[in-house]
Amino acid sequence: MIMEYKMDTIKTFYYDRPIIEKGYANQTLSIDISVPDISVKPVDEKMKDVFIGGKGFDLWLLWHSVKSTTHWTDPDNAICIASGPMGGTPLYPGSGKSIVTTISPLTGSVIDSNVGGYFGPYLKFSGFDALEVKGKTEKDIVILIDGVDEKVEILETSGLPDDSYDLSAILTEHFAQGKPRHISVVSTGPGAKNTRMGCLNFTWYDLKRKRARYKQAGRGGIGSVFADKRIKAIVARWDTVKADTNNPANGNALKAVGRKHAKEIVKLDPKQNEMATIGTTHLVTIMNDFDLLPTHNFQYGKHPEAVNIGQEVYRPIFDAGYDGCWMGCTVACSHGVKDFVPLTGPYKGTKVFVDGPEYETIAGCGSNLGIFDPHTIIEMNFYCDAYGLDTISVGTSIAFAMECFEMGLIDETHTRGINLSFGNRLAALEMVHQMAEGDGFGLIVGQGVRQMKSILARDYKADPHIMQDIGMEAKGLEFSEYMTKESLAQQGGYGLALKGPQHDEAWLIFLDMVHNFMPTFEQKAEALHWFPMFRTWFGLCGLCKLPWNDIVPEDNKDTPEPAKVMKHVEWYAEYYTAVTGKKTTPDEIIRMSEGVYNFQRIFNLKMGFGQRDHDDIPYRAVGPVKPVEYESRRERYDKELVEKHHVDITGMDTEEKNRLLRKFREALYEELKDAVYKRRGWTANGIPTLETVRRLGIDFPDVLELLKAHGIE
Amino acid sequence: MMFRVNGEQRSWYEGMTVADLLGDMGDSQHYAVVRINDKHVSRPYFEKTLIPDNSEVFLIPLIAGG
Ligand code: SF4
Repeated sequence: MIMEYKMDTIKTFYYDRPIIEKGYANQTLSIDISVPDISVKPVDEKMKDVFIGGKGFDLWLLWHSVKSTTHWTDPDNAICIASGPMGGTPLYPGSGKSIVTTISPLTGSVIDSNVGGYFGPYLKFSGFDALEVKGKTEKDIVILIDGVDEKVEILETSGLPDDSYDLSAILTEHFAQGKPRHISVVSTGPGAKNTRMGCLNFTWYDLKRKRARYKQAGRGGIGSVFADKRIKAIVARWDTVKADTNNPANGNALKAVGRKHAKEIVKLDPKQNEMATIGTTHLVTIMNDFDLLPTHNFQYGKHPEAVNIGQEVYRPIFDAGYDGCWMGCTVACSHGVKDFVPLTGPYKGTKVFVDGPEYETIAGCGSNLGIFDPHTIIEMNFYCDAYGLDTISVGTSIAFAMECFEMGLIDETHTRGINLSFGNRLAALEMVHQMAEGDGFGLIVGQGVRQMKSILARDYKADPHIMQDIGMEAKGLEFSEYMTKESLAQQGGYGLALKGPQHDEAWLIFLDMVHNFMPTFEQKAEALHWFPMFRTWFGLCGLCKLPWNDIVPEDNKDTPEPAKVMKHVEWYAEYYTAVTGKKTTPDEIIRMSEGVYNFQRIFNLKMGFGQRDHDDIPYRAVGPVKPVEYESRRERYDKELVEKHHVDITGMDTEEKNRLLRKFREALYEELKDAVYKRRGWTANGIPTLETVRRLGIDFPDVLELLKAHGIE
Repeated sequence: MMFRVNGEQRSWYEGMTVADLLGDMGDSQHYAVVRINDKHVSRPYFEKTLIPDNSEVFLIPLIAGG
């Protein structure tokens, strides 16, 4: 790769690397790129007890960095990245995740996104449990955290490529000193600069294929904050990772529990979801069969062509080989496509390696756009990564624009001649290229659904009411790719999630809809307590959630609560105990998460959100907006009106029935809010009570003051 | 006239559907998806889908994943 670029060191900070003790470096790294200034902050026992690590540490650092008025472009806004006490353990599957937080360009509040790749563990082993970067610069910079030479550097750069794909490859080579596996690069691309939905790419080095591979911290536009600060990349350099690098309290206990889990995965994955071969692509046809695969902007849940973008098609397309985004992960689900040749854009006609696609990208950039061509989806996936764009927000935003176009709310005069009909593959790709260039209608789409709704209403006089119903965002974040219309619990799973509608807090569709395991409000509320709490814990510890419940023990179904996979929860408690030396139990795990979870809710409150109204979701997520959607599931909806709500529907037309159904369903969602708030220890307005914050040890003076300002004392 | 379920041999009979299999096993409640060789079959199709002789069937636990 021949490229003329310059990198000049403008600041160097030398430090003595601490020994990792029981999973912690016991300090964090703070960088203000405006000054520039680099410093180290201690981590004390209270911080570990209350915030555990990972997202907890990120939030604590961010809380002190931002004011309630901080805008995402302000220098105060920090990007925080952390691993967690178990992060970097090669013996236990899925132990290499990083979690990133910042104030989001899409939501205006805290966003968190978890991501694979080697960065988090390398950061910690270099001596830092978490990193916060704030400030802004005039010139492009690269930050190097070099745990081998015990120094942190800020380098001014010019001439480096814009796109993440080339940039990471060049920086890996530049800093590797012949050992590319010792490098992890965090970067974004031109799409992040020109939209609000930029993602960050985190690399891991694939020894067999001899290339940097990518995982994305996708949600919430963190890449756009990164680009706005003019950070080209953050690079971590670390040495060989060994079993004892994380220095666990009890190495033998860790080995025993780690081996148990790793072996079980190797034995059972081939019999279950085959994650090691097909990743999450199997979900496409399964969701389609259950009428849950979003198509045409979440109007419908199935399509006869879905089979064309399912696992049977992707299985032979994926390049076979080990695809673990962290060392020792036996799930190894991070697949890719070799020698892919894009048909459009700057890489047209050249061979590239594409990391993905995963289920969310296939549904978001495929079925939801009415696209059922596996190669167009791969091309969308590739360019989103290279441009630094979140495939979920890109998919859901284009889907919204396409529906507006088909409904005549906008036309070709607004899209500058582009026919944005569902299924138009070239138009979808063109939108992605325009987002990266900050040009044409793509510039508007790249602002996300919430901004688009105002822009289209203001500039093109599109009807704001219908856009409110069909624009699939809540809290400003685009929905991820599951249909929620027929599952009240999943409406809660999305609507009551702290950062916005992403399924990583609670995925309850099957439990609710398919298995009918929680028929009452109380059961739903209990699930909307336990699952978000348990899932939060992975992000505190530096762990990936997939090994928990994507492969389950053979006798799991005979346990009292199969959905919780309690055998694994117990293993996780053992794992935590073995690393930190703090004896823990499954119940204690939930309590740890509750502290951080409630703190994040209060953080939302600080930023002007975090109350009942902010948990609203568009009606498209709750029920059929248009008569044609009602008609597509008429039998189900008629039955619901008659049997559940005792309505006599004789003689009613579809519009009338739909109006009634809406009234009932909206009321149910409000009832669900009440039940969940109560279970979580919140007021009817969705704010944690004094008793809750005291019980969880998050009753810091500024928290109490904030609650007081909202009438809670 | 045999097939395998999660690696264990079972005897096969003509016309056996996925629903029959789960019924015979007393296990219909927990599985929404099964895999027959490389093909996924979901519950809406359990009654219509025949299990071929000599096939390899896997019962997929997909509960609170995603
Ligand atoms: S399960 Fe997949 S995403 Fe999770 S750590 Fe392993 S390879 Fe990475």
